[in-house]
Amino acid sequence: MTKVVLMDKSSNLLSTIKGPTGPEHRQLANEVMRQALEQASLQIDDMSYIVATGYGRLNVPFADRQITELSCHARGVSSLFPNVRTAIDIGGQDAKCMKIANGRLISFVMNDKCAAGTGRFLEVTAATLGIRLEDMGDISLKATQKIQISNLCTIFAQQEVVALLSRGEKLENILAGLHDALANRVAALARRLGIEPDLVLTGGVAKNTGMVRAMKESLGCEMLVPEEPLLTGALGAAILAKETYVKAVAAGETLPTKSRRLEKATFFS
Amino acid sequence: MVVEKKKKTINRLKSMYPLRAKVNETYLKSVEAIQAGKPAVWGMLNFYYGDPILKAMDIEVVYPENYGAIAAAVGVAQQYLDRADAEGFPTHLCGYSLTTLGYATRMMKELKGQIPPEAPFGGMPKPLFLMSSAAICDARYKWFQALGRYMDVPVWPLEAPLPGIKEFFIEGYYDQMVKLGVKHLRDFVAFVEGMVGKKMDWDKLDKTANLMIEVNRIWHEVNELRKARPCPMHSRDFWSAMPAALFLAGDLEDSLRLYQDMYKEVKDRVNRHVGTIPDEKYRLVFAELPPWHSLGFFDKLAERGWNFVIESVGYHPPIPMDLSKVSDPLERITKFSLQFLVGYYEDAQKQNVLGGTTAYPYLKYATEWKCDGALLHPLISCRSASTHLPYVSDMLMEKLKVPSLSIEGDIVDLRLFNPEDALAKAEPFEETMEYYRRMRKEEGFDW
Amino acid sequence: MSEENKGLSKAQAIYLNRSQRARELKAAGKKIIGYPCVYVPLEMLTALDLVPYQTCGDIKEPVTEADRALPHSFCPIMRNCLDCALKNKNDFLDGMVTIHSSDPQEKTARVWESYTNYPYFHFIDMPITVRPEALEYFKSQLNDFRKTLEAFTGKKLSADKLEAAIKSHNRQRTLVRELYELTKPSPPLISGTEMVQVLKALTSLPVVEGNALLTETISEVKNRTAGHEKKSARLLIWSSTLDDTDIMQVFEAKANVVMNESCGGIRAYRSGVEFTADPLEGLANYYLNEITCARTFRQATLGETRKDYARDLQSRFGYLKGIIKEWKINGAIMLLVRYCDPFAFEMPSLKDYFDSLGAPSTYIEYDYTTGALAPLRTRVEAFLETISQ
Repeated sequence: MTKVVLMDKSSNLLSTIKGPTGPEHRQLANEVMRQALEQASLQIDDMSYIVATGYGRLNVPFADRQITELSCHARGVSSLFPNVRTAIDIGGQDAKCMKIANGRLISFVMNDKCAAGTGRFLEVTAATLGIRLEDMGDISLKATQKIQISNLCTIFAQQEVVALLSRGEKLENILAGLHDALANRVAALARRLGIEPDLVLTGGVAKNTGMVRAMKESLGCEMLVPEEPLLTGALGAAILAKETYVKAVAAGETLPTKSRRLEKATFFS
Repeated sequence: MVVEKKKKTINRLKSMYPLRAKVNETYLKSVEAIQAGKPAVWGMLNFYYGDPILKAMDIEVVYPENYGAIAAAVGVAQQYLDRADAEGFPTHLCGYSLTTLGYATRMMKELKGQIPPEAPFGGMPKPLFLMSSAAICDARYKWFQALGRYMDVPVWPLEAPLPGIKEFFIEGYYDQMVKLGVKHLRDFVAFVEGMVGKKMDWDKLDKTANLMIEVNRIWHEVNELRKARPCPMHSRDFWSAMPAALFLAGDLEDSLRLYQDMYKEVKDRVNRHVGTIPDEKYRLVFAELPPWHSLGFFDKLAERGWNFVIESVGYHPPIPMDLSKVSDPLERITKFSLQFLVGYYEDAQKQNVLGGTTAYPYLKYATEWKCDGALLHPLISCRSASTHLPYVSDMLMEKLKVPSLSIEGDIVDLRLFNPEDALAKAEPFEETMEYYRRMRKEEGFDW
Repeated sequence: MSEENKGLSKAQAIYLNRSQRARELKAAGKKIIGYPCVYVPLEMLTALDLVPYQTCGDIKEPVTEADRALPHSFCPIMRNCLDCALKNKNDFLDGMVTIHSSDPQEKTARVWESYTNYPYFHFIDMPITVRPEALEYFKSQLNDFRKTLEAFTGKKLSADKLEAAIKSHNRQRTLVRELYELTKPSPPLISGTEMVQVLKALTSLPVVEGNALLTETISEVKNRTAGHEKKSARLLIWSSTLDDTDIMQVFEAKANVVMNESCGGIRAYRSGVEFTADPLEGLANYYLNEITCARTFRQATLGETRKDYARDLQSRFGYLKGIIKEWKINGAIMLLVRYCDPFAFEMPSLKDYFDSLGAPSTYIEYDYTTGALAPLRTRVEAFLETISQ
């Protein structure tokens, strides 16, 4: 997913957009930016400062600065939950745990090598079960029995799920087991940092009620979830952009910025 | 309703049971010792080198490597693995080390030195010191060093030289190894004396060394008997009975009697042509560490006629050597310990099998124990017990036309070993073994 | 491209085509001996007029051939090195010297010997402690190494040849330290990337040529008018191996790497071999004691009856304190090569040590492939963001 957040100097949100990412990062960045500007009735020239974050952050030609998604999430989450100390972001392709103090990232751990500890785990198993990803969480909440998914690997877990179904295990119980498996993996990651409340869960997976339940159980504490869990990274980037700009203006400095043109970017330029 | 108890296919040796029981005793004894104010130590398998010293000084030893296997088999390893992960130890590390580090975290950080109530077999008490070993792998001495983060106890890493096969035959090489071993052991004795506040009884050490050597000599002879067809003793019995010889678990005089009993029982089976399984169709060699948590798997294979006749070179006693003229017990112990490795070197050099000290013995096993196939068990977190396996497989095929089947697993993560998958591979492998039996016949091999 | 390649541009050219000089020397009748680890005493090769050549890996080379002999969950660097060897990239070698510095080194050595056919192959065993009897044993190992070298070359390795070689190699160590002095200024006069190229070049040249390259480079760098861009972070990288510019550049995109404490960095050059009556003693002492690789077991209280964690950390890692102070380091990265056991076990204790010094630190794992670069970048940048406040 590619997301954009535009905000003004007083931190009012002017527009927010989420769009599916394809291979052509640059073209999409342009497209989504165009939509965001339209929504806010602004032109690209009106942008004072732009920060890009996430995997594709190096492919946003009009971004003035790149900041890692870890710092951006930390900032975004603290603006929504001022007492946050630990943030966990479970995305489609990675999982991040962040230690936060005074609104800033102080340490982190990441998993981006193994699908079994990311949202991908649920996507793959949902497909295997023939149910929609969006429905997984609610169904899992109906579970009446604990099932342990023993396989470490997403691919083998798929096989195990099929075996469980054919054995007559109930769908809701299997789903709860899958959520527990993912939660346990992410919880193990988080424990390397040390869990301190307030704890906030973000990322696409945070919209999954079953995951919220499973994470709470795994970590043994309450979890807060923002209304828009997919936007905390972009939100944080916008806040950092604002802070950078405001600080520079106050100090009478001019910030180097990129060309304010939304070109039709070609893949190899 | 009558529930029929299924008869196990592997006919276990009666003499195995008392030997197996010795492991359980060691944990109990170490806890009792600490409670009685006597010394107890955490040790690393050291191949007949440090153990006789501790034995002679009546120091109880437990082996976290062994405890890791127990924790895994009983299903409690995960909580310790999780703790080690949270402490910042990378997850690729040896599962036994992570289990121990997690256990130490629980005992020392969370319970301020009290043995965790959930720990199986009574747990491992906080030791007086840690005795590690350089033998076999890096993890084994680095992990005890890492334990220093949780326990204020000194670590003594025992040196373990590892020559190249060709290099070993350079004049004077062996003598230098012995020189290192003897001096090092002498210093270790001094260290232990300092730790326990008691002097070594050298007569007792002399006696202990002799007992250790004799126990292992009998044990060696027992395993030689397994060359018979059908094989009278299964690998399962080997693994169950080995602790008393391998790390001197329990009273040595008692162990000597028990191994002598085992020799009698096995010899009797040989005389009566009795195999350990009813219908020996295939003779297998197993490498390297067994799946402790799933040994029932071998019973399933036994039902198919698979007899495991020899295994795990790392656990086998040294090839007997004449040490009668060596008066210094430290030198006797050193030479016996080195023999575990270098006993095979001359043969390996003659056959030009240079690919590792743990590889050549499998050629000898397959030849002398007449094996139709090898079952290889690479373990994802134990690289030292797995790295030589591709070479073993290559070499067995190239030199002896003996095929291998590889089934993956892990030492503590039991989810990685899938017995159903493994059994599914058994049938096609039988065809392979039969094919290569014919090939060997054509090439003039006698099995 | 300049007519006469000197200093940094020469180092870069050699970095990009490492085996060129070795091949030239071979064509001119010299014998080239490969070695995979900095624990091999190169002085003994130099003394017999053999050209040492480090058989490094290449992160751009996808590993394929090594699969038949080594499992996947194994040191990726040694797998890569073996892979290059099996693909005949080292076909100009007349022999190999391997050493028991770590498990992967030992296991790969066996495989290397079995699967290749060099005229000369020698494996040196190493003890794990630095106790007197261990040093004695290691010295005897070097003596045995001397014997097979003499048999191979047909020449005697006399004490004065060895002393001359020790002198040259010590000179190289001194020069490398001199070059590292030039990363002390702010901004450093030479970048971490340039250092990797220079040090890699040294492993591809006879010692005397390496010394000449260093002398040129030091002079060139000292006389630089335009320094490197000053970044706020001055990093120490602690690792088993960091010898590749693509990896180094991930760190240097937003930081100055002023100290690379690894093989590929300063590790093999931190101090010098002492001259002793029997030169093998000085060599044994230097290689076992002075090389700060996690494989050697060091502890403060050697066999004593009490253990003090803080003193133990000081004895294992104390040399880093001076480095952090003198190079004004404000961030330390423990860069773990996946599956490396000795370094992995060290990390939590080393982190405790860095914490005791108030030096911000983090650990990052990588697997010596180009696929590792992007995740590395994110983690490095995030760490830099946490220390830049």
